Order: sequence, then C-alpha cells, then structure tokens
Amino acid sequence: MPSFRYLIAAIGMAALLGIGLAGSVQAAEGRLYPSGPPNGVAYLRFANLSAAAVKITSAGGALDLGTGGAQRVGEFDPVTPGTELTGTAAIGGRTAPVKVTLKANEFVTVAVTAGADGAPEVTLVREEPTDFNAQKSALALYNLDRQCTDARLTAGDGRTVVISGVKPGATGRRLVNPVNVALAVACDDKDAGTKTDLGAMAAGERYSVFVFAPGGVGRQAFGLADKMAPFRP
Amino acid sequence: MNGLLAGLAILVIGDSHMVTNDYLITTLHNDLVEQGATVSSYGMCGTNAGDWVYKTDVSCGEAERHGTKPAVINRQARAPGWTIDQLITQNHPNLVVVEMGDTMAGYGQQDFPRGWIYEQVRTLTQRIAGHNLPCVWVGPPWGNEGSSYHKTFARVKEMSDFLAQSVAPCRYIDSTQFSKPGEWPTIDGQHLTASGYRAWGKGIGDALDRMVSAGEIKK
Repeated sequence: MPSFRYLIAAIGMAALLGIGLAGSVQAAEGRLYPSGPPNGVAYLRFANLSAAAVKITSAGGALDLGTGGAQRVGEFDPVTPGTELTGTAAIGGRTAPVKVTLKANEFVTVAVTAGADGAPEVTLVREEPTDFNAQKSALALYNLDRQCTDARLTAGDGRTVVISGVKPGATGRRLVNPVNVALAVACDDKDAGTKTDLGAMAAGERYSVFVFAPGGVGRQAFGLADKMAPFRP
Repeated sequence: MNGLLAGLAILVIGDSHMVTNDYLITTLHNDLVEQGATVSSYGMCGTNAGDWVYKTDVSCGEAERHGTKPAVINRQARAPGWTIDQLITQNHPNLVVVEMGDTMAGYGQQDFPRGWIYEQVRTLTQRIAGHNLPCVWVGPPWGNEGSSYHKTFARVKEMSDFLAQSVAPCRYIDSTQFSKPGEWPTIDGQHLTASGYRAWGKGIGDALDRMVSAGEIKK
C-alpha cells in the first residue's frame, strides 16, 4: 500500500519534529511529558479513483497511486492539524491543485477522479470518526460517483442495508460484526448493485469501500482494509 | 505466599507509574511475586504504547526489576528503551500485563485523540498477539484534578471507557473501579503517594486473581 508519510513529513510534520516527549517547555511547567500527541494529530490519505495512474506531488516528494485494488489508496498518515498542506495531483500531463488543512482528530481522504476530458479532479472527503472498537469491524462507504446520488452498501442477498444515504463526495461508516459477507453498492432501489469483496473482516480493523465511475461511465466498486502509518513525533 | 498465580511468568510493562521505587514496580511487582508468579517488570517514563513496538529513547527515566531483586532505575537523559519483542524473547512470559493510559489521554487538550490512541493501542496489542500470548491491559487511576498535568476525572473516565473497547484481544482492568475520584492522593495530580500505589497494586493483583480463578487466564 502506498505511503505518503515521508512526503507529508516534509510539509506537515515540521512543527512536531522539534518537540520531544519530555520537552523543556513542558518541564518548565513541572510536567515530565505531555499526554497525547504534542500538537494534536489528524490523518490524511490519498485515493486514485480514475482509470489511469495518479501522481501526488508536494515540495517534499511524490506518491504514485496505481489502478489495481489496494494500489489505489494510500495509508492514513498522521499530520499536524491546522497546517495547510499543498501539492498537486497529476494524471498524465494534467494537474489539479491539492490544498487541505485538517482539524485535530479529523480523517481526510483526498480522492482523485478524472473528468470526462481526463483532467484530474480533487474531492476532499472529511470525517471525524468515533467508531473505534477492537471487537467490531468499522466499515465505511465512500461515494465518488456523481451519478450515484444516494449510495448504499448492502450485504448478503442485497436486501440487508449496512450503510445508506451517502451523497456524492461523502462517506458513511458503521460498526459491524467481523464476518465474511458479500457486499454490493447500490445507487437506487432499482440498482442491483455493484459487487465488491472484502473477504473475512477482522475484529478491530477498519475497512473502506469506494464507489466511483472513471470518466463518468462504468460504475465500479472496490474495498480494502484501512492502514494507519505509525505516529512518530 | 498464596500461590494463586504460581505457574505464571508475567511480563509487566508500563509508563512512569513503573519507574520509581514504591510505585507499581514495587507494589504490583511484589504482590504478583507473593502470589507465586515469576515476574519481570519494565517501565519507560513518558512513553506511548507504540514506543514499545518502535524502539525509542526514553528521556525521563526507565526501570526494570526481576523477581525479588531490587529495581534498577536509569535516569539518563536518553536511556535506550526496550521493545516488546525484545522483552518477550528475553523473559519468555506466558502473560503480558500492560499498564498505560495517562501518557495517551490528551490531558489538557480539548479534543480526545481517539484515532491516535486507537492506533497506538492496536500497534502494541497486535504485536503481543503476534507472539500468541494472552495479555491484560491496566487503565489509568483517577489521580487528582487541578495540576499541571491537566488531568480531569471526566477525561480519565473517557480514556478508561475507550481503552475498555480498544484493547482486545487483551483483557481490561479498569483502575477507576478501585477508588472514588480523588480518593487516592497524588504528589503532582498524576503520580500517587505510596499508599495509593499500594492500593492500586493490590487492586490489579486481585483482578488478575479473579481472571485466573475464572479461567480467563490460563497458566
């Protein structure tokens, strides 16, 4: 799975790098160490939802996102909240700017799609999840298909709705039992659904299902286990 | 010695509550030894759970203790630290006890850093699980409000409840059940007095007894 951590490190973690666990500033207050991430933390990842390879570039480096399953999505990398992160998303020779400032504890997925003319388009999907649970699986649906106005994730025979009401450019998430079940993304009552397979979900893990239509045609869905890069101050 | 824990080789790791004589490295360690367990304890001050997986220097003290020997405490400014893999290989435990919570709860921060805490906790619990070892996670005690640590009873409760749902497959010991908020006096809002550490150590030991008696921990 592609990692963006070193790229982000150059542009977003600079403030953290100068602060150790037992910094002298804290010691002056009579404390041995801070509790929690010293400057707060937020998480950022990139996803390629186009038909072609995507390159994300910042002043600190570059990240290539392919078109095969897990190659499409990077890790959630810890970044400093309140710091503007900038870069570009490129498909072929065409680029679109990336500019995002995260709030503390926010998780942002920078989704790169391609318009009908093939030019990259950037959508920020923001969430502040609270559903962390080591005995359940956290399952999310990300809707990056503009034609899918009311996305829902169904399980089994398609009649069991797991997540519903997800608008384009948004996400929905819920805790489920860790099971192995067939999933599909449907966009209205007449939609038989686009199938996807996560395999056996594990307790404590987090999963994302993306629905998208490269170039506005040919709806696709795929899912993967979320990865979080280690936080190292 | 009551022998309730005989047959257990327990590796105890923790934060600053384990790095000073008369803290848990004395009281909990003694309690477990007196119950027949073989015990090795390690503390790294100021560390988060992930620091026990990705080796880190420790800047405010570390300590280790084995069996009935006295604790060896290192107050070097940059002590070398240990990893859980290293300690499991060295000590061959059949039970790991993790005492950690105060360093990760975000005291003084407006927002509770759920995602970050979860990542820290999972990093350690999954590494322990990778060794096919059972583990028990001990959450933070109440402490006192109004100190430079900015510890509040509400945040301690939030942290303890969050750990309870985050530490599986480890079992959880809720230290807030051992006393009322503020009942155990502290020296700085966070670290207890000797009587508090005696009570906390006994509470943890008794909880482990109950888990063993209930068959939740196999010898």
